[in-house]
Amino acid sequence: MIDRERLAGHFSVEASAKLVRHYRYAEERLMRVLGGWIALTPELPAKLLFGRHVWDCAQHADLWGRRLPELRAHAQESEPPNERFVRFMTLLESAEGRGQTVERLTGAYRVLKPHLVAIYERHFALANPVYEPPTRRILARCIDEERRHMAAGAVIFAGLFPDADARGRAGDWHRRLRDALAEAGGVTGEETQVLLADVEADRARAASDVVALGSAFHPASVPDDLAAVVHRHGAALVAGDLERAAGDAVEEAQAAVLDEYAKVPRPLRSSELVAMAKIGAYRVVKLRLDGPAGVAVVQLQWRHRDDGWRVTSAQVVPAAAPA
Amino acid sequence: MDRPIAYDKLAREERFVRMRARDVGGLRVEQGLPPFPDLTSRQGMRERVHGILVGELQAMEGAGRTVYDFPDAPWEFTLDMARQVWDESRHVDIYLGLIEHLGGYVGEFPESTILWRCACAEDAAARVAGVNRGLEGLACDVFNQLVHIARKIGDPILERAVDFVLADEITHVRMGSRWLNELTKGDPERRRRAIEFQDTIDERFNLGGSRRDGDHEEVPISIAQEARRLAGFTDAEIERLIQSTQRSPVY
Repeated sequence: MIDRERLAGHFSVEASAKLVRHYRYAEERLMRVLGGWIALTPELPAKLLFGRHVWDCAQHADLWGRRLPELRAHAQESEPPNERFVRFMTLLESAEGRGQTVERLTGAYRVLKPHLVAIYERHFALANPVYEPPTRRILARCIDEERRHMAAGAVIFAGLFPDADARGRAGDWHRRLRDALAEAGGVTGEETQVLLADVEADRARAASDVVALGSAFHPASVPDDLAAVVHRHGAALVAGDLERAAGDAVEEAQAAVLDEYAKVPRPLRSSELVAMAKIGAYRVVKLRLDGPAGVAVVQLQWRHRDDGWRVTSAQVVPAAAPA
Repeated sequence: MDRPIAYDKLAREERFVRMRARDVGGLRVEQGLPPFPDLTSRQGMRERVHGILVGELQAMEGAGRTVYDFPDAPWEFTLDMARQVWDESRHVDIYLGLIEHLGGYVGEFPESTILWRCACAEDAAARVAGVNRGLEGLACDVFNQLVHIARKIGDPILERAVDFVLADEITHVRMGSRWLNELTKGDPERRRRAIEFQDTIDERFNLGGSRRDGDHEEVPISIAQEARRLAGFTDAEIERLIQSTQRSPVY
């Protein structure tokens, strides 16, 4: 007996090819954006997260691109559903500032990927299992990997940004992007409401994608005697006693150290030792100086002499985002 | 995002100390140390491995920028670069583990951005020649020697992990050779400029005479002739590199 239902189909070949081109546009563009963001993202866990997922997105785009000739279309062609979707992607990409990792994680892992998963899952449910297995196999793989990405993104976000301020920023950015996505009609261009799959910080699922959760400097690596001297030095800077601070420097470096400290905005509220690197007997220490006018970071070269630890040079360096 | 981005936009956590390679080398030489850490002590090994870690980070960042910076390049090229991003991210994972294995910590030694600067060439052909053939070729030298030393001191963790990284680097050099040829097909001037860029990188990364032809235990960085042949370097290219190491300035 013929089961007519088994052969009923939701998508035509042409409609299927059109969707595949839209999916490819989203995956390809996200791949490029993640790749571009890596260098601009200070936090190692987020940097490595993007690094892990560039290749997965590339493979998704490639799979979609190779499916196209099987649907009487040109291979490896991307096509946005409309100009509004291009604007949505451009908005997502625009979170490129040093301190915008919150927005980057939100855009990729809490908006675009959940949207793709929701659309892929619906497509999978509607695609005919008799004559569309090639498309369904790609969908199944993309769904599985995008869900893993979402879980990893949630774990990294929770680890890096547990504070309410970050959650507030993420919420604001999420709303802005969701509105832009709604205006575009989603990745298909035809959605009347934005579909987003639920995101869970599932550590087991994310395990293979989460590297280097810790980003903090361990003060225990600083010898006690040096830590005490650096603490005293920072306190002098906060108190505005530059002469006393410069007194920690070797005589021949004192004038240059004072010149450098003149660049630090005042007043200061606090100082914190945030890094220490070794070059033979030298210890290069970074002091983060906070004040109402902003943050300054000074990089100090210390060397132990007969009269104790002394500064041999100081340099104000650009402040990195706090980890 | 700009294409390409300015050098100084490279973002790092505060626990990293960034310094010019020349300044670090100068401070080392002032103390009677070799300009580039050797592998004769555990401290030297840690320092070398830390240098590799930041090199891998910058390689990942550079490959990521290549994926972004050249949207009109052939799709297969982009795929290779995306694959390289993933490889480098695993290498960072490996070296984070090796630093812990050796008792060190992230940020224990300064980072210079000399590799990153090389990865910012404006032409894709120059970038693959400089990074994939120049810098990844250097990585073959460094890792091959590290595998040898790890075997000699009986550290199977270091030996096995770095050997897998070396296998990836050989693949990256091959990618570089392929794309140098394909991207410059029919454009000899572009090819000449790309190779010239690679040569300047090879010269710079002879590291003041640290890289030389010789036994793993006798020279600071030994040229991995066999690994380089596997990666597709010709005998003439290897010979030219050896010649260049003999005229590189010392710090």
